[in-house]
Amino acid sequence: MLTMDNVRKTYVVGDVKEEILKGISMSLHEGEITALVGPSGSGKSTLLTIAAGLQRASDGHVLFEGENMTTMRPEQVRNIRASKFGFVFQFAHLVPFLTVEEQLILMLDVSASKMKKNETKQEINKVLQLVGIEHRKDAYPSSLSGGEKQRVAIARAIIHKPKVLFADEPTASLDSKKSNEVMSLIRDLTKTLKMTTLIVTHDEDMLRYADHIIKMSDGKIL
Amino acid sequence: MNIALKEIVKNKVRFSILGSIILLVSLLTFIISGLANGLSQDNASLIKDLPSGQLYMNKEAEGTYNLSRIDPDIQEKINSQQKEAVAFSIQMGFLNDESGKQRSVAFVTSTESKLFQKVKPGEIVLDRSLEEEGIKVGDTLTHDQFSGKLVVKSFVDQKKFSHAPVAYISMENYKEIYRTEDMQLVFVPTAESSLLFKDLQSFSNRDFLKTIPSYSAEQTSLNMIIWFLVVISGMLFGIFFYMMNVQKIGLFGILKAIGLKTSDLFKMMWTQMLFITLSALALSITFSQLFTSLAPKDIPFILTIETTLQLAAVFLIIGFIGATLSGIQMKRVEPLQAIQQGEV
Ligand SMILES: Nc1ncnc2c1ncn2[C@@H]1O[C@H](COP(=O)(O)OP(=O)(O)O)[C@@H](O)[C@H]1O
Ligand SMILES: [Mg+2]
Repeated sequence: MLTMDNVRKTYVVGDVKEEILKGISMSLHEGEITALVGPSGSGKSTLLTIAAGLQRASDGHVLFEGENMTTMRPEQVRNIRASKFGFVFQFAHLVPFLTVEEQLILMLDVSASKMKKNETKQEINKVLQLVGIEHRKDAYPSSLSGGEKQRVAIARAIIHKPKVLFADEPTASLDSKKSNEVMSLIRDLTKTLKMTTLIVTHDEDMLRYADHIIKMSDGKIL
Repeated sequence: MNIALKEIVKNKVRFSILGSIILLVSLLTFIISGLANGLSQDNASLIKDLPSGQLYMNKEAEGTYNLSRIDPDIQEKINSQQKEAVAFSIQMGFLNDESGKQRSVAFVTSTESKLFQKVKPGEIVLDRSLEEEGIKVGDTLTHDQFSGKLVVKSFVDQKKFSHAPVAYISMENYKEIYRTEDMQLVFVPTAESSLLFKDLQSFSNRDFLKTIPSYSAEQTSLNMIIWFLVVISGMLFGIFFYMMNVQKIGLFGILKAIGLKTSDLFKMMWTQMLFITLSALALSITFSQLFTSLAPKDIPFILTIETTLQLAAVFLIIGFIGATLSGIQMKRVEPLQAIQQGEV
């Protein structure tokens, strides 16, 4: 589904060049969760954002469905992000002036999904049920708890049926009970929707939800 | 789904504040524009109402109409070439009414022309504003330098010069009062600026208005205020959207990460700008038209709907520029930096 081949990333800060990713190769598979673990600063987020087309590698290839994302035009990459990828981050980053339901409508608009209006309603209800937040459909983000927000963020990440789900520390702002709920939710969704999921975490506890574990340290896979 | 309007609905107070400021600034602009136009009519409708053409005074007058003397021979020559040409004079002065009260007027006399009132000796035609002050047709008026009497024959609408009502008198009476045989000015309707006569300086109607000292002073300062207000409103839009956008940098980053285009963000901002400006302008146009119909008669205030709409269009354009300039930061937002920033 998604393959990385000898990916390198170098940041230039002032006169100093620093290589953050030192030749990473890995593959993600459909219906499976791959967990990326490692100490803070080891380059996990950098790797995830390159895989997700949010920034470019300095060297190497990222292949999605057989096509090389590193040489695509930015508009093509944006299009893939909008229609084929889903994102969950440490914070939910919901749109403050939209209700839970509207967050999902916006995502469907952005991904240019061609659902009809009543289909959309049904789909939204289904997904909200899936993440267990259908009773807060008309609530604004400011009235939601941290766990509820993260559930909405997950709903937004999957409403357009993405091929790949990227999650960067999705549980870092939650307590351990909520963290486990969110992780088992991501696991269930990966299985039922046959998504390819890449999850970054530094919480060893969460690794039991993963199918594959990749350990990183200092920009390299151990 | 229109997220631009959703944001306005959710943040009513914030957007209403911008809307009310635009409402007040545009209303003030409309009113000052109405005042500028009203004052200009009050100051020079005698000249403004002339069809476009050329005005001539002699070169020695150096652009001061009441120092100008048109040589009768030249006047004759112009008249023989240009059938429509008319020679006329304007003199500020006073009339005494029947109760002995002094009235300040602008005496105007001219050779025969349909552009000016034809008056027989001993008669006088006045601007309507004097009728409103109690002078009636048939009243007998006097002038300190004039042996005879002037009987009010009729009134004409909106003929003012230098903020004084115009008083048309006959050439004979004029010559007696001001002890001169010469006219000050010649007007040739439909003439181009290329039509020149020896020893005469030509002015378009507009240029002639500028030679009236109070006219340029009034109009320049009022127009300066108008453009100042227009620029301020543009800056208001710029600053408002800049501050809104700075607060939303994180949000923009996330929206870009999930796949929104920069152009979608701009469209969102433009929709909001249009919505706020159009609502504010609709209100201020209504208020200014209301003011036009309710304003007391003695305030020189003329605001046509055309002028209002023209200014409204300028506000829209300026608002658009202001908002767009402040939106350049939206283009620069990187999805990545927003994600790393934390909660928005
Ligand atoms: N935009 C950037 N410019 C320069 N250095 C960066 C940038 N982003 C990340 N880094 C550096 O790269 C390293 C890895 O960061 P990151 O991928 O966020 O690690 P992790 O997610 O594993 O904690 C860190 O040392 C960080 O300071
Ligand atoms: Mg990280």
